[in-house]
Amino acid sequence: MNRRALLRLVSLAAAERLRGAQKSPPSQLPHRLVLVTLGGIRRQESFSAGGLENVPRLHGDLLPKALYFPYCLNEGVTSHFNTISSILTGTWQHVDDWGRELPRQPTLIQYMQEQLRLPPAQTWVVTSNKALTAKIGAGGNVILSKQLLIEAVERIILGYSSRKKLERELLLEELTDVMQQDYERIGWEVPSPAATMDPRLKETFLTALAGFMKGPDNATSGDELTFMVASEVLRRVEPALLVVNFSDMEVAHSGVFSAYVAGIRRADTLCYRLWNLLQSLPVYRETATLVIMSEFGRDPDGSTTNGFFNHRTDTEECRLTWMIVLGKAVQKPAVVERVVRHIDVVPSLAALLGVRCAQASGERLPELRVRT
Amino acid sequence: MTPPDKKLLARLPRTFVPALNDQIGRWELLFPCEQRVIRDQVEYLGRLPAREFDELFRSVKQLEARMDLPSWGPARSRITVSDTSLLVRSPYYPQWRVEVEKVFERINSGIEATQPQARLNRLLVCVLPAGLPVNGELPWPRLAREGRRVKLKTTFGEAQPELIRTLASHCARSLETIERMWALEAGGSIARAVGADATGLTVLSFDALAPVRREFLRRLNQIRKDLRSLDATYDDLRHMKLEGFLEPALARHPQIPAYIRDLFLSGNGAVLFGNSFVQWGAAEALRRAQPQAVFCAFGIRKRLKPFSGLVLFEDQTRANPVPEQDDPAASLEDGRILADYVRLAAERLAAYQGRTAGIFAVAELQEVWVLGPLALPEAPTGGIAPSEFAAALGAWLGEQPSAA
Repeated sequence: MNRRALLRLVSLAAAERLRGAQKSPPSQLPHRLVLVTLGGIRRQESFSAGGLENVPRLHGDLLPKALYFPYCLNEGVTSHFNTISSILTGTWQHVDDWGRELPRQPTLIQYMQEQLRLPPAQTWVVTSNKALTAKIGAGGNVILSKQLLIEAVERIILGYSSRKKLERELLLEELTDVMQQDYERIGWEVPSPAATMDPRLKETFLTALAGFMKGPDNATSGDELTFMVASEVLRRVEPALLVVNFSDMEVAHSGVFSAYVAGIRRADTLCYRLWNLLQSLPVYRETATLVIMSEFGRDPDGSTTNGFFNHRTDTEECRLTWMIVLGKAVQKPAVVERVVRHIDVVPSLAALLGVRCAQASGERLPELRVRT
Repeated sequence: MTPPDKKLLARLPRTFVPALNDQIGRWELLFPCEQRVIRDQVEYLGRLPAREFDELFRSVKQLEARMDLPSWGPARSRITVSDTSLLVRSPYYPQWRVEVEKVFERINSGIEATQPQARLNRLLVCVLPAGLPVNGELPWPRLAREGRRVKLKTTFGEAQPELIRTLASHCARSLETIERMWALEAGGSIARAVGADATGLTVLSFDALAPVRREFLRRLNQIRKDLRSLDATYDDLRHMKLEGFLEPALARHPQIPAYIRDLFLSGNGAVLFGNSFVQWGAAEALRRAQPQAVFCAFGIRKRLKPFSGLVLFEDQTRANPVPEQDDPAASLEDGRILADYVRLAAERLAAYQGRTAGIFAVAELQEVWVLGPLALPEAPTGGIAPSEFAAALGAWLGEQPSAA
């Protein structure tokens, strides 16, 4: 079975979730969560004396408002699928890293849906990382936005499209075609027997794509598209939970240090814009908690795994990351100097909503409390 | 090499057997240094009393017993991507890695204790291209702690051709030609200048390998997103015949096509970016072939084009109307750290520790960083002449050129 056939099978199960994915009644949710995971970023290129120039927004603009956890430990498998599923389940995961298996324990998405009786439309994952599959957000809506973009670019480059040049207008047309005809390629988790996309959702994505292609920022990267899609989801669907993943910095695997650093700087800007967007949307301004955390660092210079290229070593550089929490869960900006763990995050966020992550092994972080 | 005794294989940890079988099965494709190491290790283990043997591997075997490992038999000849995926996600994987490293440290120190190796002087040269925004300064401030600046009478770029010829001719004659001097370059000027007739000089040019890289990318792009497809393509590429793509001087060593295949399959950007090719290629050459001298010439990469840059396994000139442009600032940022990574790769290896001189240069500058225990003649006011500089480095390598 090839990738197309596999995705088609997935798409045969489309409509229930899509139908559910329109804006829910405001539902008076007192608290909403936006969790941003970033690909591998070493401390030396971010929160260190030499790295602060790469995170001016996080450090200069957001940190003064935030709970800052400088020592956030990833004790699990330092690969993308396992790390993000560990964060979302609150339990260290050791599943297939190619996204063929579901996380072994329920994720925050499932806990929230079950205990808050939320429809699927209220829980979303929008992700850049190519290593992820829809299984990362089972039960919710998952959009693999960068894969959509790559798909459209590949179709043009490889001559599978009637459009022959990678120009903005043509690429937008191609992306729109992919959306219209082949939308399962965006990785939507759509477990239903019908296969029609809700027109409102389609409109959400087409608006995001148009914003990406025609907007004033001259955007071209996968993370910028992810940001645009996430923004449209926030504006139009107003979910209770949105998980966003930025991964442009993962170009480090190819040894292009300058592009790795540029990816960090882009993520810094996009996180800042995301915070500003949340502050501009009435439904989120007083209710949202935004968490920004990196999945892991990268390997140390001089390691046998070729330093910043990879994230495989059992070292502090690779395992010890940082986390920033903004918004409703922050009673008072502070720096929390003790070591916390990735798996502590979701049980703590869930507790803010009155949700219990029964199978999570992480501990609640007492610093995260609802502002009164 | 004859395969190790089956009894020995049966006593080894399960995770060691496929890798060892793979090496033995590809014996003629291994570099002399690799062959020596494996032969010494197998002989050492064969001589080890049973109690010490069991003690050596106890921790690894205990961890393996708790890991959910594939059912490899003693004839298993390699670890697939699927196998690796299982291994790496085990909760015991980090401990397993640590224990494996300890085992090899003990084996290698045991071998060294019984047969101390004669240590050669070695040399590592890293040069960044002209045209980078260095503002007249050598761009490795970190090296200031351990290096010293040496002034040259000409730019390094002008001195380079004579230097390469001199170094190649001064490497130890006791070494096999493939162990003497390697030059890895992002461009193709060294390959063009020295051609195929420089005995003892192995030149690998990213530019010259373009046909091989294109073929690799073509096949890699056919991988469907599942592990079976990935394993099948990797297996196919492991056996891809490269000889027809290479200069005869390179193709006559069976190790070189195999090294290139392994390098391109091991990722790290070697098949995509010239500077990554130079760095990772040098790191792998240092680890595997251990040449006496390694010369790394980094280059200026093209600016990543909008959208095409997302699809790294594609040629970004295809279908993209944006003109190609050099990116000197980004190339400086990349080259600076990658050159340093070559130095760090050498420092990890016993053969290079304490006996390696390092030269870090920018082609258009008239000074270099010199690292390590290398004595250079006193620089006159105008700097050292290229011939003196080359002669001093040649002398460091320890042999006079043989009579032509």
